[in-house]
Amino acid sequence: MKATQILVLVVLAAVIVMAAHLLQEQEKTKLKVVYAGSLVVPFAEIEKRFESQHPGVDLQMEGHGSIQAIRHVTDLHDHVDVVVVADETLIPDMMYPDYADWYMRFATNRMTIAYTEESRYAGVINESNWYRILQRPGVTVGLSNPMLDACGYRTMMVAQLAEVYYDNQAIFDDLIACNFDPGVSVERVGSVSVVFVPEILEPRTEKIVIRGGSVQLLALLDLGEIDYAFMYKSMAEQHGLRYLELPAEIDLGSPEHEDSYEEVVIRLGFRRFTSVGTDRVGKPIFYAMTIPKNAPHPKLVAEFVEFMVSEEGLRVLRDTGQPTVLPAADNPEKMPDRLKRRVLTIRIFVPLIPCFLSTPALRRADEMFDVDDISHPPGMPWWL
Amino acid sequence: MKLAGLVICIIAIAATACLHPSGVEDGMIDCNLTLIGDCEKVLSLGEIRAMPSCEGRGGFFTTIGIVNGPFKCRGVPLEDLCDLVGGINATDTVWISAHDGYLMVFTRDQVRGGFIAYDPATMREISHQELEMILMYEQDGSLLSKDTGGPLRVAIVGDCELLTEGHYWVQWVDRIEINK
Repeated sequence: MKATQILVLVVLAAVIVMAAHLLQEQEKTKLKVVYAGSLVVPFAEIEKRFESQHPGVDLQMEGHGSIQAIRHVTDLHDHVDVVVVADETLIPDMMYPDYADWYMRFATNRMTIAYTEESRYAGVINESNWYRILQRPGVTVGLSNPMLDACGYRTMMVAQLAEVYYDNQAIFDDLIACNFDPGVSVERVGSVSVVFVPEILEPRTEKIVIRGGSVQLLALLDLGEIDYAFMYKSMAEQHGLRYLELPAEIDLGSPEHEDSYEEVVIRLGFRRFTSVGTDRVGKPIFYAMTIPKNAPHPKLVAEFVEFMVSEEGLRVLRDTGQPTVLPAADNPEKMPDRLKRRVLTIRIFVPLIPCFLSTPALRRADEMFDVDDISHPPGMPWWL
Repeated sequence: MKLAGLVICIIAIAATACLHPSGVEDGMIDCNLTLIGDCEKVLSLGEIRAMPSCEGRGGFFTTIGIVNGPFKCRGVPLEDLCDLVGGINATDTVWISAHDGYLMVFTRDQVRGGFIAYDPATMREISHQELEMILMYEQDGSLLSKDTGGPLRVAIVGDCELLTEGHYWVQWVDRIEINK
């Protein structure tokens, strides 16, 4: 055989191998996952695990603010397979009934105050004195902008709830309101406090540093340019920061305090998205997901959702600092069949979690399923 | 036959040359920008492109820190557009909205470039640069497509490589309103 013939054969073989490889790549099904930005760390691991177990699937992960995540479906009409948000109420508010008719909660969070060893008074700050420490001269505090970030308006809720918890009517004003020009005002309507955020939020003192999101605050903490930052517990843990756990009555992480959380409403200065209003009502933080009605791959993405709420999926979340809850669904009868099984399993635990029974989602689940088969270990906390 | 082929080629090349680098003719882009201040004006993309433009470099990062750019951005300074309808006073705010229902509010200081800039390499805040807020229509030499937020998008640019927060970069801008 001539050398040229051998060369041609080698080239042909190489072309065939490359073509086969390319074909295999092209055959992967792309599932588009649009998720809340605060899940970026756990979702990187979730993506790795799911893809390794499903070699034919390529997860296309996109992190956004929760409202923006939903808008990819409702306003931008992108083909999204699953939407995951950091505020479960957004799904019924923005997606029902045209774009979705069920959702499943699976994770939670708590508001904390993150800091470093270099932060002023780091050695003495605690659950009972934090608001006095933050007010001390020279101490700087980072906030996310409530107009742009859910963590921002939740920070204002924490400061407002703190006034009741510590029986000190000056906390919100001293810590937040008086540091802005124009100021942030509060009106009492019955037992509800309505906080009015101006359309432009500009600090007038050096006490407060405001940025668009937690990513920027992390960098400032790292550099020592701020001493403390209000932040989700998951983010503080994921970035190795010290953090102060706040009382359950004010940290927005405890369903048993839902009634008191609801007594704070943040009214934002402008409507950043026409598809959602300006009021944000205090609620326990629950992460939730749904498969949009127009998802391109509803069957396959149900496998992904099932993986997310499986023992392995929830463990990945917890191992990466994201607190989980026993998954619970709103309108479970409308979920894909394979997910109903997950909710049923979850549903079994409900009678041991009285605090959940007060929520509409679980009341609906109550009506759906038989609750006799209880196998949840007594005393196991609802957040696992 | 060969001559006919040659003529077709020449016509095709000539037609291509008339197009913008993005392959889209200006006249084909359906775009009206409504300006509201002391009076109201509606501008087409052609009219906007006929205004004195400026160029700079700028990029943005998303909620989760994903960096886009920096790009070479060309457009019209926002303040020049506001001047067409009476200008901005110190206490005015500028409401910039898009046809998808997104809205962002800016102060006069911001319209004049008052933003925090970040180093694309380290994501650290960098000492204040001379920044400019523009209504961009061209990115890296091509007209903006729908996928890149076009035909008109807010951009914050400077003389060097820098980033700003992504929520300021309003895409698909169709309305700028000065609120007293």
